[in-house]
Amino acid sequence: MNACIQRIATMSVIVALALLAACSGKASLSAEQQSGANPPLPAARNFLMPPMQVPKFVGWTQGRTPTVAPGLAITKIADGLMHPRQLYTLPNGDVLVVESNGPGEEPVTTFKQFIAGKVKNNSGKGAKGGNRITLLRKNASGSWDKHVFLEHLHSPFGVQLIGSTLYVANTNDIMAFPYVAGATRIDAPGVELADLPGTVNHHWTKALLASRDGSKLYVGVGSNSNITENGLDIEYRRADVLEVDVATGASRIFAAGLRNPTGLGWEPTTGALWAIVNERDEIGADLVPDYMTSVREGGFYGWPYSYFGQHVDTRVQPQRPDLVQRAIKPDYALGSHVAALGLLFSDTNALPPAYHGGAFVGEHGSWDRSPLSGYAVVFVAFRNGHPVGPPRTLVSGFHSDDESQLYGAPVGLAQDFDGALLVADDVGDTVWRVTTAR
Amino acid sequence: MVSPVAPRRSVAAAVFFGLLDPIPFGCFVAALVFDITYARTAVVLWGKAAGWLIVIGLLAAVIPRLINLAQVWITGRARPLPGDRIDFWLNLIAIVAAIVNAFVHSRDAYAVVPTGMWLSALTVALLCIGRILVAVERNRPELPR
Repeated sequence: MNACIQRIATMSVIVALALLAACSGKASLSAEQQSGANPPLPAARNFLMPPMQVPKFVGWTQGRTPTVAPGLAITKIADGLMHPRQLYTLPNGDVLVVESNGPGEEPVTTFKQFIAGKVKNNSGKGAKGGNRITLLRKNASGSWDKHVFLEHLHSPFGVQLIGSTLYVANTNDIMAFPYVAGATRIDAPGVELADLPGTVNHHWTKALLASRDGSKLYVGVGSNSNITENGLDIEYRRADVLEVDVATGASRIFAAGLRNPTGLGWEPTTGALWAIVNERDEIGADLVPDYMTSVREGGFYGWPYSYFGQHVDTRVQPQRPDLVQRAIKPDYALGSHVAALGLLFSDTNALPPAYHGGAFVGEHGSWDRSPLSGYAVVFVAFRNGHPVGPPRTLVSGFHSDDESQLYGAPVGLAQDFDGALLVADDVGDTVWRVTTAR
Repeated sequence: MVSPVAPRRSVAAAVFFGLLDPIPFGCFVAALVFDITYARTAVVLWGKAAGWLIVIGLLAAVIPRLINLAQVWITGRARPLPGDRIDFWLNLIAIVAAIVNAFVHSRDAYAVVPTGMWLSALTVALLCIGRILVAVERNRPELPR
């Protein structure tokens, strides 16, 4: 009797360990293999422990820099910043650097969150943001001067200039500040144009893009959860692109079902609104590819009920077959868990012609994937307003070759007056400048 | 005349065991109730609460399980009752099930259902059987020797 029970006990321990081991699914598809209009999508899985890999933060030591593709060169133009997230070039060539991180308002409601917070800090991605904007100005000697431009913000991300008004998207509102051309500092307190969904702020970034005529602002608002684990109530006006009327501050949902639209841009040929979107976690290292897509007015893109069209996510209750049925399949997959956080359309620039006429995407990298993916700036070529071919990596080397150490991570992108590509690096607290190699 | 060796029993161990041992049982039973509620309502509060209860139950189980290990297999009685040993193994399997369940409960939203509920039910059932066996054995009328 005892021997029998002992055997059962031993067996159950072995089964438990085997289950745990089997759950650490490694990725089998590269970002490139999973890019384009029809990415292969393996079956969704539930894990005991989702695929996970978080390199340890070490920073850029001993003059180390990211590596660039052949024909390119990279230099540092600013460092010592406080979590630089977004870049924006002003009409006079000054470059704004938005230094920011999450507001830390999300309550810890699960044991997993408690553990995940500690792991994230270890990678340098959880460092405190500056809650300010720094202005970079190129001086006569070719180096860049730093000016503290605008302070006391609340987890700012998007920034847009319309006429003489600078709009800054804090995590909970859009603020309007008077801007005088050539100014290196704004001391005015600013006026709130519109409030934005500001509870919990699981995804806190509010991307901002002005319409060409300056009458509307488009705001990318991320979901308040990975996949509704914080309840559906707090997803009101979340996971969508809001359209805000600049004259009145009135807003409406322009498009929905976009889990975390972290970057918005106008495609130059067609004038269509495009977004980069971070998709859901924890159903596989190869699921779900983050994507870029044109954003149609009134369109629904799946989250939370489905992904890439009609692939139903069973973690959501109640299910909504009616919404799944009309979910639009995104235009272009970028690869799973690359964490696209910066979008820049560029018709012409000072890089070789191979990098003209397309979109640059800053990929921050994710915890939910092994081996690592993202941690790179890629270029997606466009033809007739549509992406063609796989994404091409032009800046990489943000982690050590063995993937154990993290030097930096690319986020926001901008093009400076000379046509060079600027890359914000919020882990290395640096702004990089990519040019053609001489 | 030599009296039989009295089993070594620690008062402190008995006190800690008496105080701590009911906590995991209560937590796991409550987790099962919450799991069933979550499966029926899909209100995330219940699922998250069940997850916390399982983690707390596991942490609270560490000391009483170690005391039980010592009592059953090391310091034990002169003639340990078979029921105590079966109870030990049932508890061990229950703890393993609860550990797996803690990972299952780390999933997001409705991915916890139904596996989490069944593991909670298994944990509670094993603990119940152990308690029943021990209670029946301890209260069996003494057979004449």
